[in-house]
Amino acid sequence: MGNATVNGKRPFKLLIVDDSNIMRRRIERSQQFEELQLVGTAGNGFEALELFKKTDPDVVTMDLTMPRMDGIECISKLVALKPAVRILVISALADKATAVEAMEKGANGFLNKPFTDRQLNEAIAELMR
Amino acid sequence: MMPAAGTDRRRQLVTAAIGTALTLVMGLVLFFGFRLATHMRADITALQAASTLQTYPEEISHQLNTLRDRLEVRAYAGQALADLQSTVQRFDQELRQINAAGDVDAPQLGRALLLWHQYGPVLEPVISFTGQPYVDSDSSGSSLSREGRAHYAAVKRAQLFAADNARPLQTQLSTLAQTLQRTSSAAAARLRSLLLGGVLAALVLAGAAAYFQFTRARHERAAREAQEQTRDILKTVREGFFLLDADYRIGSVWSDALSKMFGREDFAGLSFEELLQELVSPATLATATKYIKLLWGDRAHENLMKSINPLGQLEITMDNGHGGKETRFLQFDFHRVMGPQGIKHVLCAVGDITSSVLLARELHESQENANAQLDMMLGMMHVDPLQLVSFLDTAETGLKLVNTILKEPARTDAEFRKKLSGLFRELHSIKGEASALNLKSVASRVHALEDMVSDCKKRPELSGSDFLPLVLKLDDLLAHLRGIREMASRLTALKDSVPAAPPAAAPRAEPPRPERRNAIKVEDLTPILQSMAERLAQDHAKRFKLKLAGLAEVPSTYSATIKDCLIQMLRNAAVHGIEAPEARRAATKDDAGLVQVEFRKVAEGYELVFEDDGAGISVEALRAAALKKQLISEEEAAGMDNRASMALIFRPGFSIQEDVSMDAGRGVGMDVVARSVYALGGKIGVSTHPGKYTRFKIVLPPADAASSAVA
Repeated sequence: MGNATVNGKRPFKLLIVDDSNIMRRRIERSQQFEELQLVGTAGNGFEALELFKKTDPDVVTMDLTMPRMDGIECISKLVALKPAVRILVISALADKATAVEAMEKGANGFLNKPFTDRQLNEAIAELMR
Repeated sequence: MMPAAGTDRRRQLVTAAIGTALTLVMGLVLFFGFRLATHMRADITALQAASTLQTYPEEISHQLNTLRDRLEVRAYAGQALADLQSTVQRFDQELRQINAAGDVDAPQLGRALLLWHQYGPVLEPVISFTGQPYVDSDSSGSSLSREGRAHYAAVKRAQLFAADNARPLQTQLSTLAQTLQRTSSAAAARLRSLLLGGVLAALVLAGAAAYFQFTRARHERAAREAQEQTRDILKTVREGFFLLDADYRIGSVWSDALSKMFGREDFAGLSFEELLQELVSPATLATATKYIKLLWGDRAHENLMKSINPLGQLEITMDNGHGGKETRFLQFDFHRVMGPQGIKHVLCAVGDITSSVLLARELHESQENANAQLDMMLGMMHVDPLQLVSFLDTAETGLKLVNTILKEPARTDAEFRKKLSGLFRELHSIKGEASALNLKSVASRVHALEDMVSDCKKRPELSGSDFLPLVLKLDDLLAHLRGIREMASRLTALKDSVPAAPPAAAPRAEPPRPERRNAIKVEDLTPILQSMAERLAQDHAKRFKLKLAGLAEVPSTYSATIKDCLIQMLRNAAVHGIEAPEARRAATKDDAGLVQVEFRKVAEGYELVFEDDGAGISVEALRAAALKKQLISEEEAAGMDNRASMALIFRPGFSIQEDVSMDAGRGVGMDVVARSVYALGGKIGVSTHPGKYTRFKIVLPPADAASSAVA
């Protein structure tokens, strides 16, 4: 993982956090940004935090309802470690209060499950802007 | 649009500039005019002096002549000398004055002075003469005295000098006067130009000021009109509009609709939190406040912010103005107003969407109703008409009993609570049967009623008015049951009218025979229980088999009770007993569980054994649950042996399921079973082995004895 550019674009390191294996693969496969390099996937907040410290990603997609440490808590911790990190919350929780809470804790985007590939890519593009 | 602050500032600057320029021009004109006037005055004085002076040389010459004539004729010369003296003195004095004033800067003056300096000494002996010019002798009469001769000689010298110099001197002086005249004319012309220039400049400035004033008035008029239009817009729009500043406070302008929506006028300076705090729950308020703060940040773009807007449909309760309360739905929309330095304001638009929300709800409800009816119809098509009619009879009887309970007069809180418990049991058993028949529309209605009863129970104090909503809901349920009955009869008629129905469907298509309406044989329970088992397994993601044996032996007196008990126990087994397939696999059991029911005749009457090979019942869990529900005290719990603990399951209001589902968890269940068994004079017992099984054993007395017990 060097600092070389991808087609002239600065590479972004991506970490996918979701307790569903299917969802992790779905996000990984659906995103179309060649400058995004997947550096890890985590199934819960603890794993995410460990991986985050090891891989120092720039972009994180974050589920909210996960075992051990939930997304909201994890967001707070990630932002405390690296304020410049961009976090896209991908959650099935339609509850607006949760979305606001996540944004307040430091998330930069919000995407409701289920989502289309297009919605996912638009959300990621917005995040990396 | 209001005029921008920048335009205002520019206008003020222009006004100030025009004022300053006008003052400056007037000051300069005054200053230079004053200076010019001063010069002119000096020039005019000098001119006057020069005009007078130019006559002097000739006068002096003339007076010298007069003096000489006088001296020659030995006439009195005193007056002529005095005139000459006076003239010379004045000339000298005035010439000096002009020179001393320094206002005249002309070569002629210097030359005149030079000439006069030569002239003066020549005149000096003449004018300084003080003696007697004549001596009178008898011999020769009057003759010049010695002094007189000298005087005469001096006069002649002066005359000679005058003959040569008086004219040049006069010429110099008259040229000087002309020069001074020209100078002062030029100065006058300059003063005229200066004044003219000043007046022109002042006129130009005044014109500019007038033009400026005119445009300002026009702008102001336009601004006033714009303001009026803004006012009209704000007065007419149906949305509540206002701006929030960086301190989340409302600005000084808002639309009239806002006042109507919130029933207040004091919005200016009100914080967003203060606006909402009386109207919404603290949790909603906290979320709304956080959201507003996020709007001021630049982290999220407008579309994202819109998608997470927690105030998109806000339910608020307010006074309706007639002393009552009214629920309304408001929709808050937020738009950032950008300025040169980022977000300047947040524009908030509030819409009253009550009617559309209510319409949507109505639509949703009618859709639900339609779906429910369809479901009901589909459900009914699978139900044996006999069972359906039997259920409807039982349910209606049960509900009538509920009505009776509700009508029972009650005074004390304890009596009200007793009523509630009775109500709850009746509803629960109706729900059980409805579920068993898969009549979801009925089951969900009864479930809702149960919810209401539960809510009532939680209230610290109960009164008769708390039961009113229950009565209404109960009427609704009865109407629904009537609907089902009607639909059932139509369905039966329809089935009857279809000839040559497939053989498989035929047995169920029989119309109910009147004599069988009120008594179902328990053997009919087998399909009910089997289909209920399937449904339960599906709903709770469990797998189990239900084995039934000996149900044909159930005497008709016990059939209703046995049915109720079996339904209840089957529900308990499916929800609490049988584990999820993964858990069973982990415990090295078959994925599919087994529930066995056996009814048989025994020596003391009848015995019903109900056994599942599930998780069993944990005595500790039972005690903990009973403690949590405050059915027993800590001391009681400590003193309980296993047997006593197991008996807790038959206590009213006991359940170990945390969340309430349609099938279990309300705390009614085994106590209903136990109560109906005791009512028949029977006994009930339970044995269990954690992780292995739970077995209920019900012993009932012979049928004849029981019929006397229930009678």
